[in-house]
Amino acid sequence: MTLEAALAQTEAGTERSRETRWAEVVSVQQEVTDVATLGLRFIDPSMQRAYSFRPGQFNMLYLPGLGEAAISISSDCNDRSLVSHTVRFVGNVTRGLSRLRPGDQVGVRGPFGRSWPLEQLEGKDLFIACGGIGLPPLRPAISHIVRHREKYGKVTLLYGARTPAELMFTQEYEQWREAGIEVEVTVDRADADWPGRVGVVPMWFYQFRIDAQKTAVLTCGPEIMIRFVIFEALARRVAPESIFVSLERNMKCGQGSCGHCQIGPYFICRDGPVFQFSALEPFFNVEEF
Amino acid sequence: MADRRRAAVGDTITIQKPGLDQLLQTVEAAGYVPVGPQVKDSAIIYDRLESADHLPQGYSTEQAPGRFRLVRSGHARFFDFIPGAASWKQYLFPPCLELFSMRKDEEGWHNGGTSAQPNAYAFVGVRPCELAAIQAQDKVFLRADGTDATYQAHRARAFILAVNCLHPAGTCFCATMGTGPRTESGFDLCLTELDEHFLVTIGSALGRDMVLDLPAEAASAFLLGTAERALEHAAAQTRCDIDPSTCADALLKNLEHPRWDEIAKRCLSCGNCTLACPTCFCWDISDHNSLSGNDTRRERTWDSCFNPTFSYQAGGNTRPTIRSRYRQWLSHKFGSWQQQFGSLGCVGCGRCITWCPAGIDTRVEVAALQKEAKR
Amino acid sequence: MTELNENIAELQQIPWFQELKPHHVRKLASITQLRTVKAGEVLFREGDKEDFVYIVLDGRVALDMYVPHRGKVRFYTADRWEIFGWSSVTPTVRQRTAGATAVIDSRVARIDAVEMRDACEADHELGYQVMRRLANVVAGRLLVTRLQLLDMFAHPEAKHGG
Repeated sequence: MTLEAALAQTEAGTERSRETRWAEVVSVQQEVTDVATLGLRFIDPSMQRAYSFRPGQFNMLYLPGLGEAAISISSDCNDRSLVSHTVRFVGNVTRGLSRLRPGDQVGVRGPFGRSWPLEQLEGKDLFIACGGIGLPPLRPAISHIVRHREKYGKVTLLYGARTPAELMFTQEYEQWREAGIEVEVTVDRADADWPGRVGVVPMWFYQFRIDAQKTAVLTCGPEIMIRFVIFEALARRVAPESIFVSLERNMKCGQGSCGHCQIGPYFICRDGPVFQFSALEPFFNVEEF
Repeated sequence: MADRRRAAVGDTITIQKPGLDQLLQTVEAAGYVPVGPQVKDSAIIYDRLESADHLPQGYSTEQAPGRFRLVRSGHARFFDFIPGAASWKQYLFPPCLELFSMRKDEEGWHNGGTSAQPNAYAFVGVRPCELAAIQAQDKVFLRADGTDATYQAHRARAFILAVNCLHPAGTCFCATMGTGPRTESGFDLCLTELDEHFLVTIGSALGRDMVLDLPAEAASAFLLGTAERALEHAAAQTRCDIDPSTCADALLKNLEHPRWDEIAKRCLSCGNCTLACPTCFCWDISDHNSLSGNDTRRERTWDSCFNPTFSYQAGGNTRPTIRSRYRQWLSHKFGSWQQQFGSLGCVGCGRCITWCPAGIDTRVEVAALQKEAKR
Repeated sequence: MTELNENIAELQQIPWFQELKPHHVRKLASITQLRTVKAGEVLFREGDKEDFVYIVLDGRVALDMYVPHRGKVRFYTADRWEIFGWSSVTPTVRQRTAGATAVIDSRVARIDAVEMRDACEADHELGYQVMRRLANVVAGRLLVTRLQLLDMFAHPEAKHGG
């Protein structure tokens, strides 16, 4: 492409380079230890009405003076009143977010990233295997599936956490079950009053009958867990093209520009965070890549 | 003056050596700020160019892995040297840039003042590899889905006065990478320096307008032939054993090759290569506050994948070893870059070789990985 | 239906027993008892000296270990068709290293491990089939244990091995 052509196409690009817009904290919901969900609403009502995102995308939340953090959007895409972000408090910016109270302001840039390909997966059986803080990025996908339940085959949610106290969104499991999703939960360890499963997410594939031709697997969580979920899915002959993973890396710009979040040729913020495993396969298991 | 025919885009004309300074003055009078190579502290840097007298006339450079020496060429030519660590990215993609500032009062945070108008630079002495590097960075910073405003503003306004290379240095490998030692397009004007003359190829209407009033002649067959032979000779000196058509595959399919461990023993992870490389584009963001907490400023600075905390997040580092970081850099530059941007990220300028304190030669390393991968 | 035939019918549902020769299934069925347990019922305790291999037919059985000051910690639950108490099949282990408690009303098949070991000694073909399947079970459990050990859901800033 000539320079003239490149410059011409970038007139539009500059508009789309995503300014920071201001939102107000409407709700703060403590989830489990060190995790809370912030419900945000844009201060400009027309912006709130116009804002939309797809399941699996994220925003860059900005606290002046502290910086930005990439946070998955965890609310229902159809809910136009709020945009919820489930945050784990681990670094300077997220600890700043943990101190926010209703009425405080926060900058929002986004949404960014590729979403769960829910339209393309219509007609398939869905096997959603996730753990810990991997459930929030899948929650908007589950909301979508619940709303369009008849478009999908068998839908199973397999969710794991460290202990029963660290299971997230427990109050919603019944709703999801009522909508026709099989919800199975497991923990790494528990004490004597836990009536549920104790074991790790990947190994529970043994308990489910999977029609490999018809099944798509969606997974998100600690990378070790993801690795073994993929391993078990492949062992059951689910095609790499039918396995979708949401990854996380150090993100600074959210736009595929600063180079920090690269894995091989992919910018996780722009080519992901949701990837088809067949694309990731050559790089995913290379240590320290 | 023999031929007063108005020169056209695509033509090559000849000017005498004093014409260069006249050209620079014309360019400056047209509103461009000339920046170009100058000698400073026994090296070559890019800075505001007051006149042709400030160019490194009479110098050439000896370059080898981990070695750079400025030496007297014994000639009066202006462009016998090969550039130093600095590249034009310092203008298009400044090392430190304020993105915005904000101020807080009772009503909340407000945006600070606007930044200064971008300069219209005239880049004087852009080598073919450097021009290829600028074109590589165009693909990074000018994208339909996200454009860098600063880069775009400077790039759109930049006047490019390119210079073909007749005297490559010991670390150049532009011919193998397909970027030099001559350039055919993408410039406003392109000089080829002979002993008494400059050949000036006109690359754009803007370039043509700048030479309108210069005393010039059509380039003679003799001078064109001399230049051609010199450029062929230069091309022969800038080849190496890298195979650009297959190196991406070779590197990306051999990410656990023992050679990476061997390189890691030598690499200091100092990041010089990424600073000197004219295509490296990684950047970092930092927020700076006043003590009162009522003023904040966000800055963008160059970053390097060799930086130990480049991949650090939430209590873990995905690339904690020098081996993993060196592998990231090389497999990106000669590998993944191709899938991202449609061409390799290396232009064969040799800066990473010259400025590596450990003397690591990327030509040798890439060729070795390619060769051993084929086995 | 006789107890033996009932056992055979039950065992043949289990993936573990499929592809075993009919006379092998018959032999194992003859040393198996079907038992029903209620939620909360303890099947065996740590330290018990007993020699049985269990298979869950329905329901869920939790495996736990007692840790002073922490109480009983559940480290695994066996669901339908999962084996527990498999260490009885190996020659050296002589007491239970964990306890087993039914989490919900469950049905289990309890195989006499002494008789099974004797049967395997007498018929190496059966022995090989049993040990092969057992190796798979142990491999799977080892992987689960390793993943639990890695504590993959721990807070990123928590000290490792601290």
